[in-house]
Amino acid sequence: MSLSFILYLIINTCAVLAIAPLFVSIIKKVKAWTQGRRGPSVFQTYFNLAKLLKKEVIYSSHSSWIMRVTPLVNIAAILVAALFVPLVFVPEPVGGIGNIILLLYLLALAKFFMALAGLDAGSSFGGMGSSREMSISAIIEPTTIIVFAALVFVFRTLNVFEMFIASAATGTPATPTLILLAISLFIILIVETSRIPVDNPETHLELTMIHEGMVLEQSGSNLALMELSSAVKLTLLMALIINLIVPFGLATTLTLGTIVVAAVLFALKGTILAGIIGLFESSMSKMRFFRLPSLFAMAFFFSTLIIIIEVFA
Amino acid sequence: MIVELFILSILVFVLGILVPLVTAARDQRVFRTAALGCTIIGSVMLGVFSLIILLTGQVFSWTVFQPFAAFSLSFSVDRLAAFFLLLIAAVSGCVALYATEYIEHLDGGSRRNLLCGCTNLFILSMLLVVVSANTVSFLFFWELMAGSSFLLVMYEYTGPDTKKAGIFYFVMTQFSTLFVMLGIVLLYGQTGSFSLAPAGISFLSTAAFLALLTGFSIKAGIIPFHKWLPYAHPASPSPISALMSAVMLKIAVYGLIRFLLDVFSPELWWGIVILFLGTASAVLGIIYALKEYDIKAMLAYSSIENVGIIFTGIGLYVIFTSYHMPGLASISLLGALFHSLNHAMFKSLLFLTAGSVVHATHTRDIEQMGGLVHRMPYTSALFFTGALAIAALPPLNGFASEILIFISFFSSVAVADPLFKVLLFICLALFALTSALSAACFVKAFGSVFLALPRSKESGEAREVPFRMLLGPAILAAACIILGVFAAQIFVLVGLSVPMPDMFLVGLLLLAMAVLAYAFLFFTASRDVRVAGTWGCGTPSQQPAMEYSGHGFSEPIDIIFSTVYRTKMKNERKFFDRKNCIFAEGTADISLMKIFEEYLYLPIARVSYQTATVVSRFQSGCLDTYLLYVFCTVIAIIIYLGWLA
Repeated sequence: MSLSFILYLIINTCAVLAIAPLFVSIIKKVKAWTQGRRGPSVFQTYFNLAKLLKKEVIYSSHSSWIMRVTPLVNIAAILVAALFVPLVFVPEPVGGIGNIILLLYLLALAKFFMALAGLDAGSSFGGMGSSREMSISAIIEPTTIIVFAALVFVFRTLNVFEMFIASAATGTPATPTLILLAISLFIILIVETSRIPVDNPETHLELTMIHEGMVLEQSGSNLALMELSSAVKLTLLMALIINLIVPFGLATTLTLGTIVVAAVLFALKGTILAGIIGLFESSMSKMRFFRLPSLFAMAFFFSTLIIIIEVFA
Repeated sequence: MIVELFILSILVFVLGILVPLVTAARDQRVFRTAALGCTIIGSVMLGVFSLIILLTGQVFSWTVFQPFAAFSLSFSVDRLAAFFLLLIAAVSGCVALYATEYIEHLDGGSRRNLLCGCTNLFILSMLLVVVSANTVSFLFFWELMAGSSFLLVMYEYTGPDTKKAGIFYFVMTQFSTLFVMLGIVLLYGQTGSFSLAPAGISFLSTAAFLALLTGFSIKAGIIPFHKWLPYAHPASPSPISALMSAVMLKIAVYGLIRFLLDVFSPELWWGIVILFLGTASAVLGIIYALKEYDIKAMLAYSSIENVGIIFTGIGLYVIFTSYHMPGLASISLLGALFHSLNHAMFKSLLFLTAGSVVHATHTRDIEQMGGLVHRMPYTSALFFTGALAIAALPPLNGFASEILIFISFFSSVAVADPLFKVLLFICLALFALTSALSAACFVKAFGSVFLALPRSKESGEAREVPFRMLLGPAILAAACIILGVFAAQIFVLVGLSVPMPDMFLVGLLLLAMAVLAYAFLFFTASRDVRVAGTWGCGTPSQQPAMEYSGHGFSEPIDIIFSTVYRTKMKNERKFFDRKNCIFAEGTADISLMKIFEEYLYLPIARVSYQTATVVSRFQSGCLDTYLLYVFCTVIAIIIYLGWLA
């Protein structure tokens, strides 16, 4: 393991932790604007996290060690997954870090623990959230894997790092295939981060709650970790889209100048994408749960189409 | 020295059969412990023997007895056989360790001695199938394995469920032997020998392959031949379920791989057939597992899924071999083999811990459990390890083998044929669906069995099981972790290069991140902790009826896959009057349709029953009639021969 890789581990983790809450706030701000409200400050998520850290943790008397370890496992799995998607600087991959299948399964690891924590307290809300989350994640999985397979197909590598290096070398704008793939990735992002039309991240109503239902029993610093990890997950999926289709400015060598430029450019690109997510959410209504499979079938169809086009081209 | 080790381990197993047989009349713990002790010692020796062969790569062969020139009772162990011997040894040792305690809590008096002896016979026959050097001894030990496992399934022979399960299992396993025998006879017709040697390409060898594939598929529980698994597993004692699911299914996998590698020269369409069978079993197996509420039947369906994954790997191996891509072919085959080992570890772990749970709660229905994490903390931690492994989550071993199959799927871009690529991508999507559904299935299983509040009185009074019922599964759980975290290093150790991510590094990173997060919270966050009741929207106390049940958990998946789960509604009503106005009584019933049974098994059974009815008319049981038959046959033969001359 080289020095530049260790530096990469530090830079990437710090960058993703620093910027993730900002993107969440920007989405909220954009949604507020479209509803004619002023909305909270763009730094509100940071304030919320700081506030939660000061609060006491309340455990249900029925809950077990699952509830206690879940926030830690969750943040660890998501942060390691974030290491697989370079934000600003792409080093040479070491020991299979960046493997796209492993990335997917690290996200699944976090989800597995979160779903169990939802069942742990014996509350029907948590169970409802877990049940829905696992069902949704099961039926979106074929689409996700087909999109990832298409990426592997286009770049001829399993490693996200090598994909980013290749796309940085081709430059912007990306090929039409990649743009089509980015649309599929966008749908996966919406599903994986529990946004409208799949879920509504704003409310705790039982009609919509999937992700929020699962974390309902979490409190204090544990809740802060859960919120932070979902923000990091959003950021890493956004980074996947951004660095594949608009990779300009992405640093491939480690100097202070390139890193700063790349960080500023990433923040800008991320802000625009967060705005798009906010507008997308505002233009839709929440779908009925059992109509979701048809949405996923559509996403699956499109991504399979891309594969077929690529194969016969 | 190595020959002696092998002979000695077989002798120890034979001793383990004889001790309980001789002492069958005496219901004393010491004889059972001695018999199971033989299993443990034999397994350890066998494990050492197979590790030596695996690491040195030498081939060991030994002819015991040669009655004819064309046939001998001889054994041969190469690395493939040694790998499966290791699998048998690891699982048998741990299961026997668990059974020393478990068996004392079973009913049945001195019959338990026979159970121990029969278990040893079962293990011995499985290991002799693997080391068989020719097809005749393969078939002989295969049938011995079938017979001894039937006796084990029938242990609680008085139960009506057990009788049905036993008969079902017996018929299926005899079909399996029949097809394997057919395949071996056809092979003999092709090559003229019983050796496991290349047979060449011909119509006969294709027919032999199809017969063998059917025979092995029945034994491995591949859909549509799977129905015996969800019957036989709940009926048999838990250690036996663990052995059957973790080891016996793998013997069928071994048979298929052995014949594909050594005997046949596979064609492309064989690979497609195996891939389809594997994918269909994987997807349908896990979909049925999600609907199951009997914990052991659920694990049985999950075995069907995992064997499907193994068959998918074998199918890919055949496909890539026929496209002349040896690199990818070997990754697929290694994926299939490694998944066989991993599935043996986590499935026996899950069956054993499920056995402990059933022992503690006296029910197999997961809706009657709940809250066991507080009452059985060690068992729950062990089951949890198994659940993580089977849900293919990094860094455990289930993921380590599934990623190999994923890699070979993803690398299929190198295949030239475009139509074929699309087919492989469709199978890939189904494969991904399988692993996501298995995560959902084991969230449901762990959540319903161990978390929240107990849903029955027995579950509330459950106690942790004794030490030895924890030690056996604990070794298996450790194996699950080691085989996952050090997967890349293990492949290097045995001299195979596999493009696999370093799970040790990932594990270290996970640990580091968790420690950092903990340290961060420790120094910055408030350390106040309060324990209070779960928020129940204002109701004064939390009731078990309020929590999410297993049925509720899988309801969304039930509805989404409602076309797979066909339900049958039955509505019978009786009336007092003729015009059906005054309702007297009635029954209404919605049940899951057993599609395979109703559309495949029962029609076959009916046809064979009708045939048997017709044939039975000739069997009067009267000696004169039979003499007449003999007379007619002799006349017919004379006329026929005269005709020919």
